Order: sequence, then structure tokens, then C-alpha cells
Amino acid sequence: MKEFDDFNFSVDKYTKELTRECVGGSDLQQRKKEIEAYNEQTSAMLKQTCKKNYMQFIQTAKEISHLESEMYQLSHILIEQRNILATMTDGKTTSNLKADSIEAESSAATEDVENSQATRAVKEMVQGFNGNLEGKTFLNEGALIELDANDYRPIQRVFFFLFNDVLIVCKVKHDKRLEFLTEYDPKRIAVINIKDLDGVKNAINIITPDGSKIYQSITAAGKSEWIEKLEEAFRFDQQKKPKKGQAPQPPNRSKQQQQQAQSKSATPEKLPEQSPTDAQPKSLEDETPEWLSTASEEIQTLVAQRHFEDAQSLIKRTQEFLSMAQPKPKLLQADVIQAKIKQQEQKLTNVLLQELSNSHNRNLQIALREVRRPLKILVEMGRSRQASATLLKVCTVSLRVAQREARRNNAEISELFFCDLTQVACDFLSAFEQQPACVSALVVWCNAELQYFASQLIKHYLTKGTSLEAVAKCVERVRKPATKLTEIGLDISYHLEGLLRTTLESLIEESKQRLLDAVGRTEESWQPYNLQTKSNLKRLLLELDALGIDVRAQTTGDTWLSLTQSTVVFVRQFLQLTEHCGCLAKGETLLQSLEHLLRDLFLAHHALRPPSDMSVDPNFVMKNKIFLVDNLLPIAIEKFRKTSGRQCETMRELHTKLSRQQGAPVPRQRSVYTTDVF
Amino acid sequence: MSKKPTAGPALHKVIMVGSGGVGKSALTLQFMYDEFVEDYEPTKADSYRKKVVLDGEEVQIDILDTAGQEDYAAIRDNYFRSGEGFLCVFSITDDESFQATQEFREQILRVKNDESIPFLLVGNKCDLNDKRKVPLNECQVRAQQWSVPYVETSAKTRENVDKVFFDLIRDISSRKKQRQMDVKEPAKPSPCCQLL
Repeated sequence: MKEFDDFNFSVDKYTKELTRECVGGSDLQQRKKEIEAYNEQTSAMLKQTCKKNYMQFIQTAKEISHLESEMYQLSHILIEQRNILATMTDGKTTSNLKADSIEAESSAATEDVENSQATRAVKEMVQGFNGNLEGKTFLNEGALIELDANDYRPIQRVFFFLFNDVLIVCKVKHDKRLEFLTEYDPKRIAVINIKDLDGVKNAINIITPDGSKIYQSITAAGKSEWIEKLEEAFRFDQQKKPKKGQAPQPPNRSKQQQQQAQSKSATPEKLPEQSPTDAQPKSLEDETPEWLSTASEEIQTLVAQRHFEDAQSLIKRTQEFLSMAQPKPKLLQADVIQAKIKQQEQKLTNVLLQELSNSHNRNLQIALREVRRPLKILVEMGRSRQASATLLKVCTVSLRVAQREARRNNAEISELFFCDLTQVACDFLSAFEQQPACVSALVVWCNAELQYFASQLIKHYLTKGTSLEAVAKCVERVRKPATKLTEIGLDISYHLEGLLRTTLESLIEESKQRLLDAVGRTEESWQPYNLQTKSNLKRLLLELDALGIDVRAQTTGDTWLSLTQSTVVFVRQFLQLTEHCGCLAKGETLLQSLEHLLRDLFLAHHALRPPSDMSVDPNFVMKNKIFLVDNLLPIAIEKFRKTSGRQCETMRELHTKLSRQQGAPVPRQRSVYTTDVF
Repeated sequence: MSKKPTAGPALHKVIMVGSGGVGKSALTLQFMYDEFVEDYEPTKADSYRKKVVLDGEEVQIDILDTAGQEDYAAIRDNYFRSGEGFLCVFSITDDESFQATQEFREQILRVKNDESIPFLLVGNKCDLNDKRKVPLNECQVRAQQWSVPYVETSAKTRENVDKVFFDLIRDISSRKKQRQMDVKEPAKPSPCCQLL
């Protein structure tokens, strides 16, 4: 068939040669078939090349839009950075104002504090002022020098307090006390910036209802701050908080593309023109309607033009037509067409799957949106299983990329993970509602993702040597959103507990060893704890109150606690630990090891005895022990129960055992040590 | 700071008024520093002082450069009260700014309550004559109505810049001297009486 490609190919010459070569009609028929096949092959190849180029083009366009959105992000980040830099350079002078505009809420608290501080300062320091300052916003304060308006001679030292609707002017007396001079309404005074030229520096002119006054600031920054603040007070009611404009949002490219694609697919409505009724009477001997014989070609074109919906509906129509027309023997080529359509269908499926797997994006939301169109067609074509498998693969990529990024940015990864998981599950369920096989694929996928997530968690957050507090916080953060997933019918908490269990157990064991070692190293003086000052004692009592234990009964004198220092330290540590353990023990699997940790630690501390060569009061030692058993332990048990929602049997047993023990050994111990003391 | 409290040279307070963007600051800066500032940044209120020699006598000129923007209109009264002479500036390329001078004039007269306050009508940006929107005779008619001088200036080429300031402080100065005389004259009879 090479000669077809020849530049000097002539049809007549070729036909003549062919007829000369061939022997008989059958040979000629054979040749004809070959040529026809070649023809078809060539046209298919052409279309494929066309489509390939087209896909390449789309790919490139996507790449460009992707880059564009990245540029937007970059510019967004740059703007943010610039804002931060601006706030920093403006420094203290305008920090209040800037903070307002960046996040009004967080600064509201500090503002309140400032207001009340300033109000108090004015009340305490200024003699002769008795105006009401409640509800006013404090803007600025500072010392200035009043100058003569004509020759800029200094007149007196003054101190300003500026609130949103009052400017209080005080005289600084020789003993540094402030005496109230006058007050002005900032809306009725005019501020003039005196440009430094000759003689005077950093001065402003304030035109008040009492006439114009000149005040000098010590620094140039102070002057510009006053000008700014007075201006702010002047405009206070007009524009309370000047908000900064939002940085431009990156335009949503993928959405646009999709819309374009949809509008494109909606335009070509040629199909109804060639309805079967029109076409049928055309050919008499062959009842194959024309649209049917060209269907295969049409489908190829539609696919190449990415009008997948149309291609799919055409396939469907041909299939329906063929199955209805099946008994009619008159339909020539029916088998051929059917085979061709089947082939096209397969092709369309492949293309759509390709589309699906290409749509992975760094943003899960975008990926899910992009995926919707091919997904819908595939479901309609009955290819749900393939589609679901591909979709889940896409989601995996997005999910993991998002998590990696979040981890790098120190963001909340567990929240993100579970949110994404929910998102995928919701989208998935809405797309494949009717396919139970697909739903089980989703469950399998969730488990796989969960495993990956857990492995990441273990690798990055639950590393060896992590303190129990951090572990408890981390686990708590994972558990909470995990339980929320049950709302959409996915219960993965149990699986998650299972995945984390071994790691958590080894971490618990490790902390136990560490804590026991620490108890072993405790240096105990067996003396009552002297806190030196009343306020120290008060602070300690409050701190312990917050942990749920009241040791007021143990105080003696103003600064003494009749417990040893290490007992107090242990009480604090043990209660904190109980809380963390309780937190971790919300999952049933860890309960035992946590209980053992608490029990062993308690026993270790309880077993501390003064060395034989140290002279101590055995009663005092006993007192500490009894305090631990009678006061600390019940509180700890209760705390554990409250936080974890589970009973702590081991600790209870420990309690009963120890309190029974206490009765007996007391006299024996006393008899041992009495000789030392008395 | 600790200068002798001796009475320095006479201080004349000039106020620049006019709509935003007509070139009040540009005129002021040209007069003060001999430079033309191209970029525009709205003024809030700036004051300048400079020692100048007026007809062989050293005087101080205090220029208050005010904000033309409408949002400062409420406190303009306060500024105007301290002024002894006014340069009412508009741009010859902007008719609205010319119309606004009427309002400024009225406000000044209301605040100062003095029809003959030293006052100059200044048409700025005369270097942009090809973009002129306000006909010269219209300006002159208005100046005549108010019985004030009309001068066209260019802060860019420095044309008439010194002239407007010097004309104004000359006016202020002569009025002050006039008033001193008025004050002194009724005082004169008293020594006479003592003599008698």
C-alpha cells in the first residue's frame, strides 16, 4: 500500500495495474477489502493524531492556568508580607492602629485594657480632673512643651491624654505631678503641622477655641504620631476602623474552563436533524439509516471535540436502535456497526478515565469539581467501578498533597484530613449511590487513607520521647473529628484507635519509665515546705485549686505548708498527668496501660522513705504518705473518671489496699524512728 | 530654644485657601524652597515660617497651607480666624475650582467679618494656558467684584510666585501700620492733657 503515499500517485494507473495483476473477481474483491481496511485505518489514525494534538493543547492550557493561579497566590503572599513589614516598620507608634485594621477582634481586648489603664492613669495622676472617661477610646498620651506662638519660646511643660472625644491637657508641675489645665473636643480643634525650617523643630500648632497654641514634641516620630492621632480622633465617628482592602482573589480558572466546556458541549445540536424516521426511507435496498452508518465516525469526532455527553448519548441511541432492529434481517452491516460502536464505547471509556485521572489537583475541592463531569457520564455508561477506582486514586493524591502542605505550614492536619475525608465520602456517595460495590470500595479506600494518615501521625507527631501532654493533645485532636464522621455513616474511630494503639502504648510505657526514673532521683529533705512569702503561698494554693485539690488544711503560719516540697510537686504533676491520661483513656484500648502508669508512679512516690542516716520526724513522713493516699488519690480517681468517662479499677484497688495498710504499719514505723528523734 | 524674648521682626500670617489639587502647596513650596514638587499628596495642614526682606525691612512670613479637600471644611473656620491675609487659589484649568473660590471668599468674610481683609485671587497653573478652562476676563470680573487684585501664577515656572506673597504681606503690613497709627492717635491727646 506504499504507493498511496507517493506524490505521483494516479488512481487510473493504479486501477489498471490492479486489474492486470488480479486473477478473477474473487481476487479483486479481496484487494478491494484490503484497500477499504487501509482507508479506515488511515482515517482513524488521522483522527487520533488530531485528538492527541488537541489534548496536548488542553493540557498546556491547563498548565498555564495553573501557573497563573500560582502567580496570584504568590502576589497574595507578597502583599501579606508587605503589610507585615509595613506594620513592623511603623513600629510602636502605629501598632495599635494597624492591629485594628488587620484583626480588629483580637486587638479589641488589648484596646480595652489600654482604655482602662489610661482611664485609671488619668484619674490617679491628674489633679483637678473629674470628667467621666467611661466608654471612651484611648488614643495617645505623652509629654510636650508648650511654646510661644510668636517667637517659639518655651512656656511650660504639658502632658496630653487623647481619647476619642476629649483631649485632656495637663501641666507638669515641678514635683512631676500633673495638674489639669483644660480639655478640648478633638472635633473642634485644628492641627497644623509646623514644617521644620528655622528655629523650631517637631512642633505642631493646635488651634483651639481658646486660640492657637504651639506644642513641641521631643522627637519627630512623636510629632507625626500626634498629628496622626489627633486626626484619628477628629475623624473617629466617621470611620471607626479603616479596613484594608482584601487582596485580589485568584480567579477560579477551573470553574471557568468547565463552564466553557459545558457551553461548548451544549452548542452542537445537529443530531436531532438526522432522526431515524428521516433517514430510513432514503435507502431502499439497505434499511440502515445514514446516521447509523456514520455513527461511529460521529462519535469519534465528538470525543475528539470533547463533547463527551453527546458522544455517550449517540452511543446509547445506536445501541438501542440496533437492539430494537435486531430481528430485522434487512439491516446490512448491523454486526459491523455494532462492533464498531462497541469499540468506540471502549475508547470513550478510556478517554473519560484518562480525564478523571488527569484531574488531580492540589486542591481537593477543585479536583472534585473537575471530576464531576466525566464521572457522571461514566456512571451512566455503567462503568461505575472503574470510575470509582480512578476517582479514589485522584482523591488520594489530593489528600496527601494537602496534608503535606498543611504539615509544612504547621496547620491543623487532623482537622484537614477528616474534613477532606468527609468531602470525598459525601461526593462519592452522591455519585455512586446505587452501587453497593462502589460503596465498599470507598470503605476500603477510607481505611487505606486512614492507615496512611496514622503512619504520618506516628512519624511526625508521635515520635519517641513525646511528652504525654503532647500525645494527649494530639490524640484528642484526632479523635474529635473522627467521631464526627459517624454523622455521614462512616465509623472509623475504632479502626483509628487500632492503628495508633501500639505506638501509643509504647509511648505510654516510655513515659512511665521516664517518670519512674524521675521519682527515683527525687531528693527529699523531709521538711515542711516554706514558700517564703504570703503571695507565693497564695499563688500555689490557687494553682492547686485549679487542678482540683485544696491543701488549705495543710497550711501553717503565713508561709508554711506542712507537706514536703516534693510531695507538693508530685501532687501537681500527678494531677496533670491524670488529666492527660484520662484524655488518652477515652479510647478503651489504652485504659490498662494508662492505669498501670498512674498506679506505678503513685506507688513509687509513695514508697519513698527517708534514708536511715537522716534525722526526720516519722510523724511528718507519715503525714505526707497519708495525705497522698487520703487526699490525692481519691481526687485523682475522680478526675480520671470525669475526663475519660471510664472507671479506674486499678487505682481504686490501690486506694483500698493502701488505706488498709496505713493502719498497721504506723506504730511499727514510729517504734523504729522514735529513738532518732527523742 | 532659650532665645531672648526681644520682639523679633513683625510676623505676618498668610493662609492659602482653595480647592484640592489647585497647587496651594506647590506655590508655598516654590516660595519657601525654590522648588517645584511634581507629585501630589493632599495636605492636611502645614505651616511654614520664613524671614524675608520687604521694602528694606525684615519681616517674618507665616504661611498656613490648608487642606482643600471638602472633608476638612468643618474646621476651616478655626484656621481662618488666625489669618491676616489670604491667597485664594484656583486652577485656570479647572472651572470647578474657580467656582469654589466664591465659597471660600464668603467663608473668610464671615469668619473675619472684615470686607477689606488682605486678599488675592490667584489663578494658578498659567503655564498650562492651552488647557485653560476659565477665561481670563471672567477671573478679572470676579476680582473686580470683590475689589481684590487678580494674579496668574505658575508654581512650575515660578512666574509671579514671589509677587503674590510679597503683594499680600505688603498689604498686611501696611494695614497693621495703619492700625497702629489709629491706636496711637487717640493716645496722643493724653500727654497733652498732662502738660496742661
